[in-house]
Amino acid sequence: MEDQPQNTARGGTQSAQSRTYDRSPGESRAFALGVAGWLLPGLGHALQFMWGRAVVVFLAVGLLVGAGASMKGNVFTRQGNDAFDTLGYIADLGTGSFYIFARVLETGGADVSHADGDYGTRLLATAGVLNLLAALHAYEAARGHKA
Amino acid sequence: MTVVPPLELTHFQAFLLFAVVISVAFGFLGRRRSKDRVKYILWSLFLFLLVGIGIGWAMFPFSR
Repeated sequence: MEDQPQNTARGGTQSAQSRTYDRSPGESRAFALGVAGWLLPGLGHALQFMWGRAVVVFLAVGLLVGAGASMKGNVFTRQGNDAFDTLGYIADLGTGSFYIFARVLETGGADVSHADGDYGTRLLATAGVLNLLAALHAYEAARGHKA
Repeated sequence: MTVVPPLELTHFQAFLLFAVVISVAFGFLGRRRSKDRVKYILWSLFLFLLVGIGIGWAMFPFSR
């Protein structure tokens, strides 16, 4: 009974098929572009020939990661002590492959006892969130909803 | 051993770096035409600086 098509507010019926997530080739391509943009900042836009946006996203995320790591910001790992560490880890992972770049740059470890290190932590998290936003933008652009 | 030399910035320099980079990225992602991008970048940069410096001054009486 519950699996039957439900009446919508507009009075029509909504089939079970239309309620499932659209997995058309266009949707899959958009999803792939979004993932590509996450893995390598700017790649999602570059593959859609949005060169200006691709370069700016790549440079912005790279600059923030480079500055954040050089300022001895905290590059969070999976072994977090609390929820804030986990949130920081998720934000840092948003930089995609640049997370590895940050880890390589910061082999000396973080130093958040000074303001520089604290700012560095924020810059790294900002880079991750910015890259996630850019990846979402690339995904939406591929679907033709935006840009 | 660190690969790059440590970067030492003042509070304002770090804040300015953040504001400029984010404003430019937002401008390019949010607008398509060059003129619109420039206007958006300048406006968001101005607001970043205004809000940041404003909050800084608002906290000043409690810092001592």
